[in-house]
Amino acid sequence: MKRPMLSTLLAIGLLGGAYLTSVGRLILRPGASVVDSHVEVISFAHWQIEPGVREAFNAIAADYMKLHPDVRVEQRDIPGRAWKQWLRTGLIGGTAPDLVELAAYENPDDMLARYFTPITSYLEQPNPYNASEPDLRHLSWRQSYTAELIPDELQSYFSLNLLEYYGAPLAMVSVRVFYNRQLFKDATGSDRPPRDFDEFVATCKALAKHAALTHQPVTPLAGSWFNVTKLTDGLFSTASQRVALQMDISHNLEMSTHEAMVNYVRGRWSLATPAIRAGLQTVEAFGRFLPPGWSQLNREDAMLQFLQGRAAMLVSGTWDAGGILEQAKFPVGAFKMPAFRPGDPKYGRDMLGPVSEAGTFAGVPFGLTRASRHPARALDFLQFLTSRRSNEKFSRISTWLPVIKGVPVPKGSESFEPVGDGYVNGINIRFLALRANEIVVQNLYLLSGNAASADAFIAKTRGQFDVIYPEELARLAHVNHETLRQKDSVLAGLFQLERTSGYAHAKFDRLAANQLTVEADRLQTLRVLADYPPPK
Amino acid sequence: MKFRAVIGSFVPPLHRGVGRGLLGWGLLLGSAGAVRATTAEQEGWQDLAGYLFHDAHEVFTREPAEGDRLRALGAAASLLNDPPVTSGKVERAEAQLRQLVKDNGTDEPAIYARYLIARIAHLHRSAEVPEIEADYWAVITAAPKHPLAQLAAGKLALVLLYQRPDLSVAQRLSAAGELAPLAGNAQLPETACAYYRVLAEAAMYYDVLDERVLGWLQQADTMGSRDIMTAMSLRVQLAEVARALGHRDEAIAYYRQYLAVAGPTDNRYRTAKDRMMELEKAAR
Repeated sequence: MKRPMLSTLLAIGLLGGAYLTSVGRLILRPGASVVDSHVEVISFAHWQIEPGVREAFNAIAADYMKLHPDVRVEQRDIPGRAWKQWLRTGLIGGTAPDLVELAAYENPDDMLARYFTPITSYLEQPNPYNASEPDLRHLSWRQSYTAELIPDELQSYFSLNLLEYYGAPLAMVSVRVFYNRQLFKDATGSDRPPRDFDEFVATCKALAKHAALTHQPVTPLAGSWFNVTKLTDGLFSTASQRVALQMDISHNLEMSTHEAMVNYVRGRWSLATPAIRAGLQTVEAFGRFLPPGWSQLNREDAMLQFLQGRAAMLVSGTWDAGGILEQAKFPVGAFKMPAFRPGDPKYGRDMLGPVSEAGTFAGVPFGLTRASRHPARALDFLQFLTSRRSNEKFSRISTWLPVIKGVPVPKGSESFEPVGDGYVNGINIRFLALRANEIVVQNLYLLSGNAASADAFIAKTRGQFDVIYPEELARLAHVNHETLRQKDSVLAGLFQLERTSGYAHAKFDRLAANQLTVEADRLQTLRVLADYPPPK
Repeated sequence: MKFRAVIGSFVPPLHRGVGRGLLGWGLLLGSAGAVRATTAEQEGWQDLAGYLFHDAHEVFTREPAEGDRLRALGAAASLLNDPPVTSGKVERAEAQLRQLVKDNGTDEPAIYARYLIARIAHLHRSAEVPEIEADYWAVITAAPKHPLAQLAAGKLALVLLYQRPDLSVAQRLSAAGELAPLAGNAQLPETACAYYRVLAEAAMYYDVLDERVLGWLQQADTMGSRDIMTAMSLRVQLAEVARALGHRDEAIAYYRQYLAVAGPTDNRYRTAKDRMMELEKAAR
């Protein structure tokens, strides 16, 4: 009888403790929403739960509330896995926060149009919170950004279909190799990062040799499919720059995904093309320094290997920098993955030089929801958040890169800064189709270990790429078909709205031009698929 | 007070323009009832322009059109994409548009209706190419100077470039190029710029790289685009095509123009600069 009694008491005790903890947290948490009726409460939501980011937001919100005592700013950090469902429910139910982080893949155009307010006209006015900055006060809010928010198909603050800005971003991230300086010193006698690809491979060798000699379970590279693809992306791209220029149908020095796949279907390149093969061979060179079973591990496992000193290097986005610097018990350095030398006999024949990172775009954009009960206040907070002073604070606390002109890169984050001087991208077979990523990830193991072989990878996957690239082209043509149809109705609306103000260069004209270009791509796709039927 | 002022300025310029438009319509129609009807119509056009097709359709069909041809046009244009899009809805929309043309073949709603009928044939019904071509020509011949005729000519060019395998590549390019007086009309400069670029890019897709391609790109440049990315790419295209055709000095000049205005986020800067320097070196 005694045992059940004890366990019941224990359970009740645990439940009671949990309840009290919850009540305490609710009462003590910053930004509780039970406030005086005269206080304006605005909230903003994001999924950036990396260390340092929440703290940075809290510090800026505190600054704002100090400046506006009748305003309460609440931060809602929602884990990425729950984000999509949480956001949809909030938007549909009209309970979404005033400001919401945007991502192109999470916020399709119809969602932006229905639930978010375009902020284009505000971005073209000066940001009042930059009034004390002599060099910014006369510039528009948009021009206060380092890259002036030039629209691009990859970013999520501008809708190419709606031709409106929907978000104001506040940070930038890049991909870097984080490394354990102590392990580097122990193995090579120096903590200097490698300057080119050969040195990188030599460093891996030295680290492996040192680990074997000292009987330490340390691998040169922390591994997971996520981290390794961050490494291979740059290498694949660098090895095939000249081929990409040959595939650039439109002669604008920028091979698009569409052009790459059209030329693949026409048989103008394949996985066996020497430049593509060379890219795969770069993985052969360092693949044997990855930990056993790495392809089954996820990014958290790789991070743990690195933080526990079981791996000397970790390739990741600088969004992980805050967490790494906070938790690592050893000195950490970071470097941009070095490229091989142009003309390198094995990898560099089709290379122009290191790939430029100039196109690294501003991220973490916040959009204003139509359900906002205090849109003017929310917009004011967004301007405060993206002012030079706040961006400096955000950057310093989070270690993420700033996006506003004149904000210094925080100490310790210098190596994260995008290197603009460089050349155009080559072909990355992983990026060209949704299923291409799966195929690369599933078969990357063929490029690692002692039997690593680019030719084995090509032999196993070539037939699959022959099928998925035409499929992807057809899929994109189908998607374009839908948006082209929609634009006909949208243009009808714009035509009536702009009849008194004139059409030249107005939205009607711009959207009609955009539609013509997209339609040309679609019909070109249908032509190529008809002229070069894919294998059954 | 301040809050109200800010909310006042919260209305994007588009809405303010619509407000001015409403005033004009109100004066023209001269009755409170008509103004209310026009207000509802404007709301419908706004919804349509904002991809809110269902909302737009509800607005346009809240009351029977009863001779309001613009409202009838709005109802058909919104029905075309009212989710879920079905072939039944498309058929109904097409019937409504054909009725608009039948009732009065010359006014503004009829011109737009004719254009949407051509688009339905091309994008919704996947009609035979001769029917699609005939429908676009019907828009052009009905009002050749109308902006919709320019749009129709651009789409017709695409049909000729990519949907006429019975023509040789040279014939496809010539036929599409002959539409330039219509499709390249300066009344819609962005659309004209896109038309010339589409022509040049189709030629290059077919591995044709000759003086015509450079000429089309130059025409696109003359029309100009206020889209920064388009303007930048056009500069690079001009330089690259001039280079490929052996027009060294011209290519250098185009590279220079591009480099002078290239944005800080443009990955192509160094590559373009190197190519320009190679040409300069060869010129010495």
